[in-house]
Amino acid sequence: MTNSINDLLARHTLIFTIVVVIFSLFITFFSEPYGNGLISTSFVKTLGKTVCLCIIALAMDVVWGYCGILSLGHFAFFGLGGYMIGMWLMYERTAIIVQEAATNELLPLTETELSNAIGNQIFGVVGGYDIPSIWMFADSLGLQLILVIAVPGILAFIFGWLAFRSRVTGVYLSILTQALTLALSLYLFQNDSGLRGNNGLSGLQNIPGIEYLGQEVISIGFFWASCIFLISIFLLFHSLMKSKFGLIITSIRDNETRVRFLGYNVEIYKLFIFVLTAIISSIAGALYYPQAGIINPAELAPIASIYLAVWVAIGGRGKLYGAIIGAAFVSLFSSWFTGGQAPDIPLGIFTIEWVNWWTVLLGFGFVIITIFSENGIIGFLRNIFVKEK
Amino acid sequence: MNTLLKVEKISVSFDGFKAINSLSYSIGKNELKAIIGPNGAGKTTFMDIITGQTKPDEGKVLFGERSVWLESDQKYQVVWDENLLMKSESQIALLGIGRKFQRPTVFELKTVFENLFISMKKNRNPFSVLFQKLNRDEKNLIEKILGEISLKNEQDRIAGELSHGQKQWLEIGMLLTQEPKLLLIDEPAAGMTSNERRQTVEILKKLSADKSVIVVEHDMEFVKDLECEVTVLHEGSILSEGSIEHVSSNNEVIEVYLGR
Repeated sequence: MTNSINDLLARHTLIFTIVVVIFSLFITFFSEPYGNGLISTSFVKTLGKTVCLCIIALAMDVVWGYCGILSLGHFAFFGLGGYMIGMWLMYERTAIIVQEAATNELLPLTETELSNAIGNQIFGVVGGYDIPSIWMFADSLGLQLILVIAVPGILAFIFGWLAFRSRVTGVYLSILTQALTLALSLYLFQNDSGLRGNNGLSGLQNIPGIEYLGQEVISIGFFWASCIFLISIFLLFHSLMKSKFGLIITSIRDNETRVRFLGYNVEIYKLFIFVLTAIISSIAGALYYPQAGIINPAELAPIASIYLAVWVAIGGRGKLYGAIIGAAFVSLFSSWFTGGQAPDIPLGIFTIEWVNWWTVLLGFGFVIITIFSENGIIGFLRNIFVKEK
Repeated sequence: MNTLLKVEKISVSFDGFKAINSLSYSIGKNELKAIIGPNGAGKTTFMDIITGQTKPDEGKVLFGERSVWLESDQKYQVVWDENLLMKSESQIALLGIGRKFQRPTVFELKTVFENLFISMKKNRNPFSVLFQKLNRDEKNLIEKILGEISLKNEQDRIAGELSHGQKQWLEIGMLLTQEPKLLLIDEPAAGMTSNERRQTVEILKKLSADKSVIVVEHDMEFVKDLECEVTVLHEGSILSEGSIEHVSSNNEVIEVYLGR
């Protein structure tokens, strides 16, 4: 029995890896720097961002589809990851610009002058030139990368520990996670939050030190990094969910009390999954925002986390493929419809403009899919192609 | 005989309703006992208290009696390993108390084999579970238990497809893989055919060879077949205790059972 499971496991992950690698090579060979330029740099960025969204959808699927915790806070962890990497990108680039400008001066700048000049460049928009203490590690890429993992990790740990220990479950937990997201977003909107209020962080697409490579090359680099991370996370989750640990996780979803009476400390398992997926979401965010170029508190708003749940539900929760398909389809369609490329439909007295009507279409799609197929697109396809014995 | 579990004068009330009223109870090692009582007598609440799901308002629940020789006083003193009121559900389960629920509670989406694999007595720490693989000894043990609960041919089936009676046995099997010292079994015969009942009696009797078993039932006939000491609960306290003949000839018991 275990042999056949291992075979299946090896085959599934192998197919997935091959598909993603072929897709990445295909994109690379049609890109501007390495091919005939059929695929524009901005579309490569869109695809790279979509891959990052697939990663966070995988995390959402594990925490919701497998463990049964409907978290409406994972996009906040995604945004936090973006902020953490964004701090280094913005600080380092500003420091380079300020230093270059200073080479024309007769006297070299003192430490304080340098710091004030950087502070003025970054925080001028919110009225100030003091660099807030939360930026103390911003000059070190290594430390900011550690923060990408540590900040959401610690936040998820504290929040999860308090919530799970008090046995908050179901819709109450969802509301709590949404409150966390809203609080974080509102805090970041404030000008004195130290993260430039509603301006957010910008210019993140310019990677200090390798700017000379140009956006076309950098975008391919980030696209590949995102694809490799997607494959690793898929392999990680796949093997985790096929193991005994995964059996216990899905058992907690199906019957928490039974698992508890078997002697498992359910809270620790939930906390483990919650923190792990929060960290992975954050890393996905740290890959996403350098491709997006800008992050502001609106990205962390509760609606983003709700969209995340919608993607996973449409794709099919409880299946890793489902999460990826849902996130990829819906977010690509979303950027097509809201990007103004979709043709408007004139209805005589009234014209359907997709920029505004896309959410209506998405809502209808969501309702129809969940009514006709409990397990989303994947469940629908399985019903057609896979004959269950 | 050493006492395994001792419940002392526990009381619990929900919104003023006394579900358990100053109840004392004990069971020895490798003993089989039955508790009967009409609906609302407090049977399930009693189990909830032992397994840690409900905390009593007053009283004690002690587990694992030992005698310790006191050098200073030159006599034996009784000590208890654990005070269950200080423990969580999962900690109590780890001490060796397994519980079968009234409605068969198995993992319906998993196979029979997987259900037993999860219940297996092993380190329950998530970081240890991450690397646990099924080894040969464990596989043999699971197969042995599959035999005991007559589910050998069903091991790769999804548990949700099993018949009601088979689910009940699977749940008992899950308790067995935990290797508990005390089994609490809530209405094992509910919804079973007479054939399945007979087999269930066999299974329970066999279990009590090396485990303590408390069976909660409201079916007198089934309890009679178990041939063990019976406790009758009524309105949260003990009405009568003794053999089934003794209990069923008690006037109060007859009134409670037949009078309504």
